[in-house]
Amino acid sequence: MKPEDPIQRDENLRQVLHQWKVDAPLPPRFQEQVWRRIERSETQVQAPAWVRLWQQLSAALARPSLAVSYVTVLLLTGLLAGYWQVHVTRTQADENMGARYVQLVDPLLNPHR
Amino acid sequence: MKRPILILIGGLAVAALAYCGVYYGGTASCCHMETGNAPELAWLKQEFHLGDAEFKRITELHQTYLSGCAERCRRIDQKNEEVARLLAATNNITPEIEKALTESALLRADCQKKMLQHFYDVSRTMPPEQGKRYLAWVQQQTVASDSHSQMHH
Repeated sequence: MKPEDPIQRDENLRQVLHQWKVDAPLPPRFQEQVWRRIERSETQVQAPAWVRLWQQLSAALARPSLAVSYVTVLLLTGLLAGYWQVHVTRTQADENMGARYVQLVDPLLNPHR
Repeated sequence: MKRPILILIGGLAVAALAYCGVYYGGTASCCHMETGNAPELAWLKQEFHLGDAEFKRITELHQTYLSGCAERCRRIDQKNEEVARLLAATNNITPEIEKALTESALLRADCQKKMLQHFYDVSRTMPPEQGKRYLAWVQQQTVASDSHSQMHH
């Protein structure tokens, strides 16, 4: 079967469309509803930045691989922050305890003595 | 809509739990030590890796030293009061002031001598390497520290 020429097909379509008559009446307040839909779609486009950000984030988190990566990164962050804080606290506690021991055994460190 | 919120909050909760778990697990020994009977000695045991027998002996040495130390401190305080009284009574260095200052210095020297002896006794009770480390550290913190040299200037 020989394929139809696209230009010829467009011409046919144009003729059919010219002959097409719509007899059905428009629904009540059709124009108003059309404008309202346009208005609504424009409002959606101008949504605040945080809404758009949340939409993007939701879309990203809906993907399992990204959701797992997100949780893993936060888990590692929590672990690392915990280890770092332990290191700081232990170092401070060691220094503090050492100073307390020295104060205990050396009375001459007391400025009044 | 609900699922992303759950993942978002869940991730944060996982991070917080991981942080708290590591932190409380890692600092439990420190907290336990600080609430103990003699936290300074408990620290010494941990810092210089002492065994139970060594720790027991060092605790005894420490108690003996502290009881003598309290008496020496009392005598130093008494002498300081005497010096202050003599200084308030005159504007010259009298033979009494000279004598009191010499006695005060002798008391301090005796105090330092006893303290050093205690450090040597403690260091000898520790394993040799730790004893050496303890001695270097404690001398640096006491007799060789800036606060001691300032006191003598």
